[in-house]
Amino acid sequence: MTHAIDTSIYSAVTDAIRGEAQRILSEGQVSAVVGYAAARRKGSAQPIVINQADDAAKLIFTPACVNNLAVYLTKAKKEIPKTGKIGIVVKGCDLKALVGLMGESQLKRENLYLIGIPCAGVLASTIQPDKELTHDSIASKCRECDVHLPTGCDFLPSQQPGTPELEKRYAAEIARLETMTPAERWKYWKEQFSKCIKCYACRQVCPFCFCEQCLCDRNKPQMVETTPRPAGNFAWHVVRAMHLAGRCAGCAECERVCPMDIPLNLLNRKMAKELKELFEHEAGLEVNEKGPLASFSEKDDQSFIK
Amino acid sequence: MHVEKQKHDFEPKIIAFVCTWCTYAGADLAGTSRMQYPANVRVLKFPCTGRIDPVFILKAFQQGADGVLVSGCHPGDCHYIAGNFHARRRFAAFRKLLEFVGVDLNRLQFSWVSAAEGGKWVEVVTELTERVRDMGPMQEFKELAMEEQWSGAINTPELQEAYNQI
Repeated sequence: MTHAIDTSIYSAVTDAIRGEAQRILSEGQVSAVVGYAAARRKGSAQPIVINQADDAAKLIFTPACVNNLAVYLTKAKKEIPKTGKIGIVVKGCDLKALVGLMGESQLKRENLYLIGIPCAGVLASTIQPDKELTHDSIASKCRECDVHLPTGCDFLPSQQPGTPELEKRYAAEIARLETMTPAERWKYWKEQFSKCIKCYACRQVCPFCFCEQCLCDRNKPQMVETTPRPAGNFAWHVVRAMHLAGRCAGCAECERVCPMDIPLNLLNRKMAKELKELFEHEAGLEVNEKGPLASFSEKDDQSFIK
Repeated sequence: MHVEKQKHDFEPKIIAFVCTWCTYAGADLAGTSRMQYPANVRVLKFPCTGRIDPVFILKAFQQGADGVLVSGCHPGDCHYIAGNFHARRRFAAFRKLLEFVGVDLNRLQFSWVSAAEGGKWVEVVTELTERVRDMGPMQEFKELAMEEQWSGAINTPELQEAYNQI
């Protein structure tokens, strides 16, 4: 039995973002808007950058609008002052990523015009982009979402998304792994990581992987083996999880783009959970200049240190 | 007065990442005070515990360490004011990650050893060495390193047959 999720507001949201994009572009408030447009296959969507007011009619929002558009601003961040203010269409999870980037001084709020989306959820997979959004087809990240309505945006359509209570898959999977013995967990991750082909899609799609030279690409000294052998794969995924600890906004793009279906967001969610327990930090919508691993308190737990 | 050296079947390799201002001086003090401690530990000197990247620990395990010790100044005594506070947070997070991917945390020890604590250095090193000796060699990472490239695994009868025909 699959329950459908109400996405009837998405057509009204589409109209609202079209109107707003048209207005800010024609008034010259922004030089470009990053949003979603229909792609060639029926029901599918792809990211688009528009800089003409006439193109605003191309913008859409559907359950197939899965991408986190924040990544386009990190890779292009150096161009933003030159090109002027940029408008961007954001779901709640994407906004968390943008807020994280602002905290790390990668973006400035005054250079952005945020068009928020009241989001009931998006599809887990876009293999069948015109599939109906149901309790089964919804992305795992949306099941645990706490920002269906992004706050602090410059524009937010007035529609209210329906937000049914759904079973939390990441939390359940983390709990399952935590009850295992270390040897069982090792076996589980060894199997998962052995699938990795080192395509680095997870790194390319991550808004927080903005280092100009990744530690894992350096060879003097080589810290992480670059070939897709089990040892190098293991090191890569541990280093990736560690570098994202306390920064990851939970958009789960890494997991979505992984061609080998490695549960990457599981590691990120585990680290988020631990950092919340240890340092009471959680990715949210408030700009923090210092993340949990870039700051400290003299009262931090040190029961593990002799 | 020499203590008879006990023979063991397994001598673990312990890598110690230490800060130069406290623990390195502490280990030096242990030496100049003629204190005995297991020779299994290989000391690597760093400017500060804040300089010790978690990837070093990972690399040590991958290169064949059976145990890793990270040691630096007591909180508040850091030569660089706050390096060890940052390190403390980082390692608290990192050990949770290692635990989650299935590494036995008994092989990883953190400690604060000041320049005056030669005795504590001996105690920490001895305890870790004996604990790791009881646990036996660290097999997990060695097995990973021995494994072939995933695409080269001959895991089906068809592949095995094709391989035999080469």
